[in-house]
Amino acid sequence: MKRPPMLVHVKIRNERRGFGLWLPIFLLLPLALAVFIVAAPLILIAIPIFWPSGRRKRALHIFGAIFEIICSLRGIKVDMQSDYDYMYISAV
Amino acid sequence: MDENKKKILEMLAEKKISTDEAYRLLSALETGRSTAEGTAKSGATTKVNSKYLRVHMVSGSEHEDSHKGDHVNVRVPMTLIRAGMKFTSLLPPEARDKVTGALHEKGIDFDMRNLKPEDMDEFMEALSELEVDVVNSDGDTVKVYVE
Repeated sequence: MKRPPMLVHVKIRNERRGFGLWLPIFLLLPLALAVFIVAAPLILIAIPIFWPSGRRKRALHIFGAIFEIICSLRGIKVDMQSDYDYMYISAV
Repeated sequence: MDENKKKILEMLAEKKISTDEAYRLLSALETGRSTAEGTAKSGATTKVNSKYLRVHMVSGSEHEDSHKGDHVNVRVPMTLIRAGMKFTSLLPPEARDKVTGALHEKGIDFDMRNLKPEDMDEFMEALSELEVDVVNSDGDTVKVYVE
């Protein structure tokens, strides 16, 4: 089953200071659900508007595609270091 | 017996096609099926084996002094590439033209209109065999591979 990343680990450090954060993305999921519920009527209005232009299918699929992209972010890792700066982002 | 084979045999019985033609059609049907099965199997292997696209860059200075020097280590899930390609196919044609134009201006001759969802499996399979390993005279290395 596809599910979005639950946590994002961010570490940033420069010559003088640095910090690390574990961002609990799972806490945003209920908020995202609430936004979707609020947006659902707007989506239903948008579908007939897009219907004559032939973009209804695209308008419907775009939400699924965005959700798929968010879910696919699980496992992404970016680790960069220059002489004194360091950045690490990881989604789990 | 599947529908296509049945149709060919019916056409042969009705003498609409000759025995040779029927044989050729049946052979073509079998070849098409085995190719499709092969593609499906290799696609499944790609999905199982290739999970991440790795980009690893190390500057030459890092080899000399392990505490300093630039390095980049990026791990991109293959599912993200697949989802991105799917998303690209949903872009309106006008937006695709703009992107293609912008890429062309930067010297990248890549037409986004050629990116079709049906080619995705083939692209992912080709990507799973990708391996780039570049080392320059300063000792900087760039590695791109799929694991």
